[in-house]
Amino acid sequence: MRNLWLLLQRNAFALAFIALMAVSLSVLMRHNGAVRSSWFIRTGGLNASVEQQRLQWRSYLHLAEENIALAEENAALRAQLLSMEMNAEWQPDSIRGWDVRRGMLIKGPDGHPHTQCLAAPGGDGGIEVGMGVLSGGMAFGTVEEVGEAHCRILPLVHAATYWSCRIRRGGPVVSIGWNGMSVDRMELVDVPRYVEANPGDSIFTSGYDLRLPADVLMGTVLDSRRTSGADFISVSVRPAVDFLSVRHLEFIQALPDSERIEMAQPPAP
Amino acid sequence: MTLPRLVLMVFLQALILRDVSPLGQWTQPQWALWALLLIPPQAGPFIKLIAGFGMGLGLDLAMGTYGQHMVAGTVLGGLLPSLHRLMAPREGYEVNDRPTLKDMGSSWLLGFTLLCALIYHLALMVVTEWYWHLFPAALFPALTSAAFTTLCCLMTHLMVYSPDRRKATS
Repeated sequence: MRNLWLLLQRNAFALAFIALMAVSLSVLMRHNGAVRSSWFIRTGGLNASVEQQRLQWRSYLHLAEENIALAEENAALRAQLLSMEMNAEWQPDSIRGWDVRRGMLIKGPDGHPHTQCLAAPGGDGGIEVGMGVLSGGMAFGTVEEVGEAHCRILPLVHAATYWSCRIRRGGPVVSIGWNGMSVDRMELVDVPRYVEANPGDSIFTSGYDLRLPADVLMGTVLDSRRTSGADFISVSVRPAVDFLSVRHLEFIQALPDSERIEMAQPPAP
Repeated sequence: MTLPRLVLMVFLQALILRDVSPLGQWTQPQWALWALLLIPPQAGPFIKLIAGFGMGLGLDLAMGTYGQHMVAGTVLGGLLPSLHRLMAPREGYEVNDRPTLKDMGSSWLLGFTLLCALIYHLALMVVTEWYWHLFPAALFPALTSAAFTTLCCLMTHLMVYSPDRRKATS
């Protein structure tokens, strides 16, 4: 301690000079924009290089852990790939009461009012007209036309059709449609004014339109507007599926209900 | 006497003499330097350092330059002890020596003033311009301003410590 004190005493002038320079420079930096920006640029660059060096050393020192994490990620991806390959067959879903088969969306909704979607597989994969199509377990559309290896799908966001749905599980049945404007927004139609539709309420399929089974999530209520004197309220819904980024689909076939498929077939010419 | 002289020169420069610049940026004198340079060589280094800092602080407060003169004044105040040692006569300073024409001679006074003015103006140039690419354009005006400051300090010196007045008082 004494030596430190002696050292400080011996260099008192230099310390005082440094202290006064620091005060002066801090005042200068505080009030001079050019100096301040230059200081930030220099210290920012220095910080970045120090941080880069630190990260480099850290990653070098934690190489074994990173290798383990990468190996785990690789194993998970391989398992996922394997499961996708295995699911190329129809799999019974006893809980929900349907068979499910995975497929790939080739051409999805593009925001235009009357765009239909193209997906694989088609008839050779067991796809039939009228089957429901989900994405991530949420309503996507229904099969309209089937080729050998491809099928055409009518998505929820198609301006020429309406879908039967419920507000909340077991709630009132109404129709939902798309006005062709934004794929992030659908509208409930013919909602009587006494129906409660609050923002955040889930919208499920009702199953009454024979295109999708009941209780499949369709979207969430964004807002509802009541106009004074009107018999119906306007309800906006955000679809549960992000239609612009969907790639994987699930085709579903209700197990016991062959009537639904039969009735959904186009009438014979 | 040093402190009132410094305060007076700082206020004079800030209020009146700052506009005395016949050739614009080429001749921007720092009149307050004259008061700083009159600190006796025998004074302690801390006094010189604090005087330089105080002069800069006063100029910044009075002229609204926020730190530029503080940096330059601290640099000059910190270097003053070394400059006094560097410019010391072979036999050293006498106890009563003051940095005046009478005690130190014209060549010492001219060289010392010019050296200090150069240091001050170069430091001021650095903190004013700050970026390397701006230094070349500012270097020559800083040198000419240092020369003009030297001239102004010597004129002030001659006015205050007039040889005629000295003769009259003696």
